[in-house]
Order: sequence, then structure tokens, then C-alpha cells
Amino acid sequence: MISADLNIILPEIVLAVYAMLALVGAVYTGKDKLASALLWGTAGLFVLVAFWIGTVGTPGSTAFDGMFIDDGFARFAKVTILLAAAAVLLMSEGYMSARGLLRFEYPLLVALAAVGMMMMVSAGNLMSLYMGLELQSLSLYVVAALRRDSVKSTEAGLKYFVLGALSSGLLLYGCSLIYGYAGTTDFAGIIAATSDGHLSVGLLIGLVLLISGLAFKVSAVPFHMWTPDVYQGSPTPVTAFFATAPKVAAMGLFARVMFDAFGGATHDWGQVVALLSVLSMFYGAVAAIGQTDIKRLMAYSSIAHMGFALMGLAAGSELGVQAMLIYMAIYVTMNVGTFAFILSMERDGQPVTDIEALGMYSKREPGKALAMLVLLFSLAGVPPLVGFFGKFYVLRAAYEANMAWLAIAGVIASVIGAFYYLRIVYYMYFGEDRADALDGGKSPVLWGFLMASAVIMVVGVVNLFGIEGAAQAAAATLVN
Amino acid sequence: MSEISLLPIIAILPFVGALMPGIVIRAGRNACAAFTAAPTLLALVMLGTLAPSVYDGTVYTTHFSWIPQLGLEASFFLDGLGLMFACMILGVGLLITLYARFYLSGDDPMGQFYTYLLLFQGAMLGITLSDNILLLLVFWELTSLSSFLLIGYWKHLPEGRQGARMALTVTGAGGLAMIGGMLILGDIVGSYNLTDILAAGDQIKASEWYLPALILILLGAFTKSAQFPFHFWLPHAMAAPTPVSAYLHSATMVKAGVFLMARMWPALAGTSEWFYIVATIGLITMVLGAVIALFKDDLKALLAFSTVSHLGLLTMLLGFGTKAAAVAAVFHILNHLTFKAALFMSAGIVDHEAKTRDIKQLGGLRKLMPITATIATITALSMAGIPLFNGFVSKEMMLEEATHTVWWENPWIVPALATLGAVFSVAYSLRFIFHTFDGPVRDDYPAKPHDPPFGMYASPAFLAIFVVILGLFPGIADGIVGMAASAVIGETVHPHLALWHGFKPALYMSIVAIVVGIVLLLLHRPLDAAWLAAPRPEAKRLFDDLIRGVVGLTRRVNDVLHNGALSRYLAIFCASTVAIGYLAYSGGGLLPATREMLPTPPLAIVAWALMVLATILVVVLHRTRFAALIAISVIGLVISIGFVYLSAPDLALTQISVETVTIMLLLLALHFLPKETPVESSIGKRRLDGLIAIGSGLGIGALAYAFMMRDFSSISGYHLANSYEGGGGTNVVNVILVDFRGYDTYGEIIVLGIAGLAIYALMETLLSGPAGARLRNSGYNNDRSHDRHPLMMVIAARLMLPIAGVVGIYIFLRGHNEPGGGFVAGLVISIALLIQYMASGFAWTTRRQRMEYHGLIGFGVVIAGLTGLGAILAGTPFLTSWFTYIHLPPIEEFEFATAALFDLGVFLCVLGAVMLMLYSLSRLARHSGETVNTEPMDYDPSKAPTFFEDGYRTEEEGR
Repeated sequence: MISADLNIILPEIVLAVYAMLALVGAVYTGKDKLASALLWGTAGLFVLVAFWIGTVGTPGSTAFDGMFIDDGFARFAKVTILLAAAAVLLMSEGYMSARGLLRFEYPLLVALAAVGMMMMVSAGNLMSLYMGLELQSLSLYVVAALRRDSVKSTEAGLKYFVLGALSSGLLLYGCSLIYGYAGTTDFAGIIAATSDGHLSVGLLIGLVLLISGLAFKVSAVPFHMWTPDVYQGSPTPVTAFFATAPKVAAMGLFARVMFDAFGGATHDWGQVVALLSVLSMFYGAVAAIGQTDIKRLMAYSSIAHMGFALMGLAAGSELGVQAMLIYMAIYVTMNVGTFAFILSMERDGQPVTDIEALGMYSKREPGKALAMLVLLFSLAGVPPLVGFFGKFYVLRAAYEANMAWLAIAGVIASVIGAFYYLRIVYYMYFGEDRADALDGGKSPVLWGFLMASAVIMVVGVVNLFGIEGAAQAAAATLVN
Repeated sequence: MSEISLLPIIAILPFVGALMPGIVIRAGRNACAAFTAAPTLLALVMLGTLAPSVYDGTVYTTHFSWIPQLGLEASFFLDGLGLMFACMILGVGLLITLYARFYLSGDDPMGQFYTYLLLFQGAMLGITLSDNILLLLVFWELTSLSSFLLIGYWKHLPEGRQGARMALTVTGAGGLAMIGGMLILGDIVGSYNLTDILAAGDQIKASEWYLPALILILLGAFTKSAQFPFHFWLPHAMAAPTPVSAYLHSATMVKAGVFLMARMWPALAGTSEWFYIVATIGLITMVLGAVIALFKDDLKALLAFSTVSHLGLLTMLLGFGTKAAAVAAVFHILNHLTFKAALFMSAGIVDHEAKTRDIKQLGGLRKLMPITATIATITALSMAGIPLFNGFVSKEMMLEEATHTVWWENPWIVPALATLGAVFSVAYSLRFIFHTFDGPVRDDYPAKPHDPPFGMYASPAFLAIFVVILGLFPGIADGIVGMAASAVIGETVHPHLALWHGFKPALYMSIVAIVVGIVLLLLHRPLDAAWLAAPRPEAKRLFDDLIRGVVGLTRRVNDVLHNGALSRYLAIFCASTVAIGYLAYSGGGLLPATREMLPTPPLAIVAWALMVLATILVVVLHRTRFAALIAISVIGLVISIGFVYLSAPDLALTQISVETVTIMLLLLALHFLPKETPVESSIGKRRLDGLIAIGSGLGIGALAYAFMMRDFSSISGYHLANSYEGGGGTNVVNVILVDFRGYDTYGEIIVLGIAGLAIYALMETLLSGPAGARLRNSGYNNDRSHDRHPLMMVIAARLMLPIAGVVGIYIFLRGHNEPGGGFVAGLVISIALLIQYMASGFAWTTRRQRMEYHGLIGFGVVIAGLTGLGAILAGTPFLTSWFTYIHLPPIEEFEFATAALFDLGVFLCVLGAVMLMLYSLSRLARHSGETVNTEPMDYDPSKAPTFFEDGYRTEEEGR
């Protein structure tokens, strides 16, 4: 019995045990000497585990009395999370070691966060939900403050922690209300208690509090306040990490709870999620306009993108979940490339995040500028790049779920949002050639990720690499 | 090869061809141009093979599945309209390729240019051939992308920057808006294929989503075709090299919007919404563009505004929604293409040769470059709408249509304005001719102009020939115009284009236009001065101001919402949660209460009031930390009493012990903090925060009330029933802790131990680091009692120790059945020990400490773990408890449960952890220079304290 359960969560166990063993090992062997090796090892392990989850065994089993669900949806999300985390880790090395930040804790904290994220998307119970969420969050709080000698970084970590604690509190309070009114913490039990399609006020308020907590994790407006400060304050590789894997995990968890536990009352939460979606899209788009720091801009950009992903969720349909998954996978790919570019922005060995420093970048680095142009157009959702397909999927899902107003709002928000992406393009191609222009940034790893990401945005147009089939299968297991 | 499969090949040819120029450029510029022309020519030939049957009304379609779920198909179709546009695009592309070969200088990277040109051509061709509206969207935005690359081709020109940005922003945004329109359209019809959509016009017009779809699609079309109020980007995009301007901004890209309106004509046109939006915008654009064009001195800017004006004309014609207007539009598209492309190329030749495009610096070129002058004159006359040139015929048709148009029950406003547009059109066209080519030869040209080589003027000359032929014999275009117009309208029409339409109002309007236009040109100098003096909205400045304003506004909004202060974030967070909680609540559905209110005894009310008062005090006093802490402890005590009142003695006991320990630890920690918090926020902000806090509190209170007034199922019944039988204890809480949820407890004590160790470790690092040095150097000179260890307290504390010990053991032992247990016992003993530290001093107590606290924690965890393992040895799962009754003679029979051993582990762990934390904190105190606290009763009352002027000194310092 227990061995069967353990078998199902074997990937998670392997990662967790690896992280703990590596931690002990690193402590006893002169600390940061091993950091580089650990980083590569962790990234390699991520890829292996992703491959393992993606190919071995058949999804569709549960462990620990339904606490842990291993279905197609979870697998899709896990593979995305692991690959994104591996990519970000590999991109970090140069930046971190050049600035003396490559501590052995970094890859291990990322590994623990990844375990938490895998738990999140597999949660089948409010308990395991919270466990995964906190394992992830606690690791992230520390990672945010990794640069201890920087006021900005520590401030970011502290803000993230305080607000995160508040959101966790709300989430727990919501969970306890749900438990109080449904009499169980099991998703299957909760959905049975709400099978008549309507939620009692107690459950509804519990659900709303739960949504508030989750909205914080996906940084949806109005629970997004931490995002810009943390993105700006953290070391850039950490920002890149924040912008990718945890977002997938949080969206995955969001969808999981909404459908597995409250799937009988899609209308009730659909409204709330739609509201969050609209607010996020607009606020993210509008607030980004005035930004001059590219990391802060990417923070608002990610808020807006989460709004779009939530649009898929708000639709409350299988198509919506599929759209959300596709959106997230594309979003992560674009962000990996974009951050590879941001990581390579430096002058005299110092990182630069000012957008205006990109003036006439195309003249010095035509290849990279072109790749970034493709990525930015894709982020803006301009056809035919892959970003457009993600956007069109969610718009269509919302439209077909009788939320035409939401789809139209999304279109308007994307029009506003295009402005600031195009502004970066403008600086790269037409900006002023400043004396203090960027130099350096010759890392082959970053170059590779940037180019790969850009190429995917173009070549993916052919068939989206078949991701929609996988996403559809995953969505089907969640919505039934 | 079947004819049908030719379509995708045609569409893809330019893209494949785009790979070539970059490679071939090594073989020389001529080869490069040839390889650019080859795919274009090939595509043109292929189209030519299809043309006869399209001419006869055949519509070719091919479908390839692409991303079917999204509705995206790689389907192409070719009808009359598509054929005409495709031929225009390819034909002009060919001419431009030739022209650019001679226009670009040796320094320009020609391969790159041709690559972009072919990419752009492919995108345009794709628009005209797409059958799927999503595919059309894809090509649509591809034109934005590739045109951006083309416009940005001459990067060294600073004025190009702003223009490129505006072009990109405006057209990009419009394209995105169009996505929404296409989405709605596809959904109304149930298919994203144009052929289906065009057939479902009535269904679309009847839909309630018709207007949003129309507006979104028109946004795309208007931005692309530079219609008012988006017209401003086009003239500013003119900094691009002339071949680009000629291709993009006259012939093709800007026509894409017009093409889209023509394409969608059967589906969208004919309603009053369509008429009032499209025709009105077109009319405004036509007049506005023509007026501005007259006052532009830059040749290309003049042509650009003229293009804006002509695009407005086309839009207006399509907006009329009548068949005759559609025919006129199609014919004018063709005519505009011929004369405008030639004009742009002529302007480019002038620029290339004379090195300036400023009309004020030109004049007299007729004698210097006669060939160019002839071409330019012919085409400009056509633009002016002078008879015998093709522009006249279609303009005549436009004026004719205008006279039939009633706008808001007003029959003369459209013709009047159309005539006004024509007047200015004549004026600027003639100005182009006379001010550039006429007049005396000057001697101050930046460069000596002369006619260019044949290759450069071949293309405009070719087009000029067309202009004349079509102007003289418009009838020969009957076929092609009829074919395209039939496709636009959706039914077959056979237009008869003729030079002479008879004495109709349109003719008089034309005559008026020509006469007044000439007058305007003669008056140009004073008019120009007046124009320059007159205040007028400069679109570019407006755009810049708008952008700056928006950016400033968003910054301000953002500064308010995101000012970096955590308190602001928390306020937003709480307020939003309360708001959406209220939303959820107001949705209704709260079942009526099922329980009665319990009677409230006065004592409960008093306790409640006390708690509220203490809470208020915490808020009021929070700047004085010590006082706030006391108030907090009051709250804790009342909560403990509350537990007693609600029959939860266990919880009360635990709460009160935890409360005591935390308050004590906090008191110690307070030592290292400033005594007071400075006031940082204004009174208004605090009031707002207060409101938010009260709102949140009331919300939570209401929730609790609602919860308690209703029945709910609970698991307490299960525990009550099973605690004695299964766990051998009557104290359910304790049994839950050590038995039902023993796993959790085991984990928790480990966490507690880790927390203690972590505080210890942190303190170690802290003290050995720079912070420790700071602490050592910081003065520790506050007023303090000179009697730190009062005799009475020392004695009392020592007496209390054994008593507290007994109480602790008692509480521990009774724990399984009565309120108590290892956790509480651990806390009680810790308090007793804590008091020793406080009363007798640190050193005295430490000397008597026999055991390291780390060890206690370790023992606790090991004992608890071994107890659990014992269960495994006995063949039951980890931590299963077992109990029996033991009879030892002097005492009565008593129950022994393994849970008690587990509880011992809990006890030790709690004790160790609490004491370790205390130890760590007090180390900090000693480190920072605390010296009094080293000996018990180190104050000798018989020795008078040594007074100094600045107050007391410690014993040590006194010695």
C-alpha cells in the first residue's frame, strides 16, 4: 500500500532526497566550491526527471488517499516547471559566479522549490496544497534575498515574505472555512459537497479567500504588489526564475483547485477569476508603460500575462484549461529567452537594466537584437509568432464561454501592452547611440537560450511543436 | 501540376526567395537584383496561368489543415480582387527591384534590403491570397514586422526614428485590435474561412456583436491605411529610402487596409453603421490630407499626404456601400497605384540627383532632367485629375457617386467636401509640377542634377505609359475592373469605363476643382505664410504629447499604488480581500441561522470588553513598545480565560503557558530594539488604515458569527468516541497530540528543536560578525536599576523552583487523562527556570546548569522516535500507542501508555528549545556590555552606591 504510494511520488522523493543530500554534502566540503557542479547537476537532474515524468508510466493514479494526484494535467505542468527551472539554472551560472553570488544553496533552494511546485500541481487535498505551496514559497523567500549585501535584495525578500505570509494566512483561513462548510479537505469530497452547482456563502467566502491567496502567488491584481519590487530587487537570474516556473506551478494549482474541488460551481468562481484577469491585464499593461527598468517592466508584463492565462481559467471549460496550459508553456519559453537577453545586458562587467541603454543595439549586435525583436513581438502577441497563438487560444476560450466582454477587454489590453514591448524594439533599432552603450554579454549559454527561444517563436508557428495535443489531453483529465 | 496547388506555391515563393539575396550578394549587385526579381517574376507567371479562368469567374481554393482546433487553416483562394491585388503587388515589386538596384548606393547592404523586400512582398501577397481570416491576420502583422525592418533600413537618419516608432505603434496596435474583430466574426459565422464569412453577410449584420466586430476590424484597417485620426504616421515614415516609400506607402502596404475593407465588403458593408463610420472617416481623411499636402515643402511629405488623401477617397467610396462606388474604388486603386508609385520614384530620382527634396530649394529642373520631368508631369497631372489621364476618369466617378450621397439627410455636404478635396488635390499636384520642374534654372542646388541612367527611370516611365493609355482608353480596363469589382460586391458586374460621361454635375465639379486649384496655386505664397502663422494641431506633436501624457499619468498612478511602502501594499491587499469577500457575501445564499444565541453572562461581556480595550490600547500604544507588549499579554490572558469559559481547559492551559513564555522572550528581545517607534505616517493615512483594519476585523467577526450560528459537521465526535478505547486516555486533546496525530507532533517537536538551534546558530554568527562588533561598541548607558536582583525576588524564585517542578511533573503525568501533558509541562518548567535566570542572574544560574540544552532537544527527539520505533518492533505501524495497567504494590493500579514516553520526548524537546532560545537572547545581552547581571545579589546594600555627577555607575565600573 505505502510502497505503491511512494512509487507514485518517486520523482518528488528523488528530487527532495537529492536536495537534502547535496545540502549536507556541500556543507561538509568547503561550501561554495561545489556550487557550480551542483548547479549543473541540479539542472541535469531536472531534465532527467522531466523526461522521466513525461515518458515513464501512465498518468491517472492517486496516492495517499487522494492527497496526491498524478494525472496528465499534473505531468504537463511538471514537465514545464522542471524544464523552465533547468533552463533558468543554466542561465544563472555566469551571472552569479561573476558577482560572487554562486552559493551552493542557490541550486538546492531551487530544487526544493521545484519539489514544492510539483506537489502543488499534484495536490488533491487542501493539506497537500498548502504543503506544496509553503515548501515552494519558503524556498523562494530565501532565494529572493540571496544577495544579502544588497539593500534592494534583502528588502525584496522581506517584502515578499511579509506579504506572502499574509496571503498564506488568508489561504489557510479560506481552507479552514471550506473545511468547516464542506466537512472535508479532500478535493473529491469538496466537489461532492458542492455537487448541486451552488455554493453556500460560507464555502463561497472560503473560496474567495483561497482565491486571494492563490492570486497572490500568480501575482494577479490586486494581489500583485510584491511583484515589481521583488523582480527588481532580486538578482536577475532569480527574477528569471520567479517569472517562469513558479508562475506555471501557481497557475496549475489554481486550475487544480478550481476544477477538482469547485468544478461544480464554475459560474461562481468564474466571475471572480474573470475580474482578476481583467484587472491584471489592464493594470499590467498600463503600469508597464512608464517603466524604464527592464526588470520592473518584465514584472508588469508578467502581471499582464497572468491576466491572460487567468482568462483561460475564467472560461471554466476544457478549452479554457487547454488554452491556459498552452499560454503558460509559451509564456515560459518567451520569458526564458527574454531573460537570457536581460542577463546578458552589461557594461564593464556590471549588469544594466535601463532600457535606454539599449539605444541602437541592433547596430552592434544585429543577431541578438533580431532575436529579441522576435521575442518582444511574440510577447506582445503579434501574429504570426507563437505568442499570438497563446493569446488567441485564451481569447477564444473566453469568447466561447460567453465571456465576450472579457475577450474584448483582453484585446484592448493587448493593444495597450504592445506599446511598451514595441518601445524596447524602438530603442534597439532607433534609439540614441549612447556613449555608455552596453558591452560584453558574450556568454554562449545565454546566447544559446536567447536564440533557441527566438527560433521556437518562429518555427513553432508550424505546429506549436504538438503542444496543443498534450495540453488538450492534460486539460481533459482535469475537466470532466 | 494541378492549377489548384499553385496557390500556396505562389504565396510561399517570395519567402523562399528571401533566402537568396543574402547569399547571392557576393556575386554582385546585378545578380542580387536578378535573384530578387526571379521569384517575383515566377509568381507573376504562375498567376498569369490562372488569370484567364479567374477572369471567367472561377474561384480557386486550396485548404491545408494547420492548427485546426484554433480554426487556423493554411487555406488560400484566388478571385478577381485577389488576382488584381496580387498582380499589383508583384508587378510593382518587380519595378521597385529594378529601381532600387540603381537607387541604392554602394555602401548600402543591398542583400539585406532585398531580403526584407521579398519578405514584405510575401506578406502582402499572403494577405491577398488568404482564405482563412486568421491566416490573413498572420500575414497582416507580418507586413508590420517586415515593413518595420524596411523602414529601419537606413538607420543613420535621425528623423527616421520617430517615424518608425509611430508607424510600428499605430499599425501594430491596430492589428492587435483586429484579432478581436476576427475572433467575433469567426464565431458568429462558425468558420474562419473567408469564403464562408463572405457568404454569411446577413447573419453577421444581424448579430448583436456586429458593431464591436466592425469597430475592431476597422481599427485595423484604418491604422494600416492611415485614415483619420491615425493618418499622422504615414508622412513620418517617409524617412525610409525612396524605393521603400514607393512600394510600401503608395502601392501596397497602405492599401492593405483598403483591400481588407473591399474584401469584407459583402460581409460588413451596407449598414448605416458602416456608412457613417467608413464614409465619414474617409471623407475627412481625403479633405484633410489634401489640404495639408499643399503646404508641405518636402516632396515626399507632399506625396505622403496626397496618399493619405487618396486612401481617404478610396475608404469613402467603399463606405458608400453602393455597387457603382465599389467599381469606382476598384478602378481608382489601380489608377492610384500607377501614378503614385511613379511619382514617388520620380521624387526619389530628384532627391538622388539634386541631393534635396525641399521644393523651396528646387525649380527649373525641366531643363536639367527632361525625362524625369516628363514622367513626373504626366503622373502628377493624373493625380490632379486632369482629363486624358487615368486619374481623371476615376475621380469623375467618385464625384458622380458623391452627388448621389445623402449624409444625415443632407444632400450637399458630401459633394461639397468631395469637391473641396479635389480642389486641393489639383493645387498640390500642380505645385509639385511647377515648383519643382518649372521656373528658372538655379545655381544653388546641393548637387548638379541630371537625368539618371535608364535603369532608374525605366520603372516610372513604364508606369507613366500606363497612366496615359488608361487615361485615353479607360475601356481596356473594363475587364479587370469588372472582375475585381464583381469579387468585391459578390455578384457579377460589367462596368463601362469611359473618358466622357456627358455633362453631369461631376464634370462641373471637376471644372470647379481645376479652376480653383489653379487659383490656389497662384496664391500659394500668401496662403503658405498664413498656414504657417495659423495655429494648427500638429499630429506628431499631439501624438508625442499624448504619449508623454499617458506615460506621465501611468507613472503617477503607479507612484501612488506602488510607492514601495510595505504598509501601502498591505492596505491594498486587505482592502481588496474585504471587498471581494463582500462581493461573495452579497451574492446571497446564506441559509438562516440554525442555532440560538447562548445567554451571555455579565462576566463574559466584561472579559470581552477587556479584550477589546486591550486591543485598542495596543494600537494606541504601539509606539511605546513596552506598554504595547503589556497590552498584548492582557489579550492573551483573556483568550485563555475564554478557552476556560468555552470548556477547553487544555487549550487554556497551553495558551497561558505559551503566552507567558513568548511575552518573556519578547521582553528580552525588546531590550535590543529602540524604545519607541517614530511617527512616519500622516493622520489621514492612519485613519484610512484604521478604517481598513476595522473593516477586515468586522468581516472576520461576521464570518465567525455566521459560522457559529449554524450547525456543521465536525470530527470531534469521532475523537471523543475513540480516544479512550483507542488511545487509552480521556483527555482527547492530549490523545490527539500523542496518538491520533502523533506523526504531526513528532514532526512539530523536531521543528521546534530546529527553531531553537537556528536561533542559537544565528546568534553565533551575529555575534562573531560585524553586528557583534557594533553591539560591543554601542554604549549601554540607559538608566537602569542599581538593584537588579532584589532579595525578595531571589528568595521567592528559589522557593518556587521545586514547587514549579512538582507542578510540572504533575501536569505531565496527568496529561493523558486530564488537562495537561508534555507540552504544557515543558513550558511550566521552562518558566520556572526562566524565573531563576531573571531573579538570580545569568552566571549564577548557568553555573548550576548541569545539562546542555542542545542535549535536551536531542534526547527529546530520540525518545519520541524510539517510542515510535517500538511500535514497529511490536508489529504495528510507526507511533501506534499501546497501553496497559500496572499494579505496583504501594500505589494503586495505574495505567501506563507508551504515549507517556512519547510525551516525555515532547516535554524534553519543548524545555530544551525554549531554554536554548532564552540562552541565545541573553548571550546577546551580555555581549552588548551587560555587566550587572553576572552575580546573584551582586548589589551589596551595605555599600552605598557610588554616585557620580552623571548618575550611577555599575559596581564593576565603580571598583
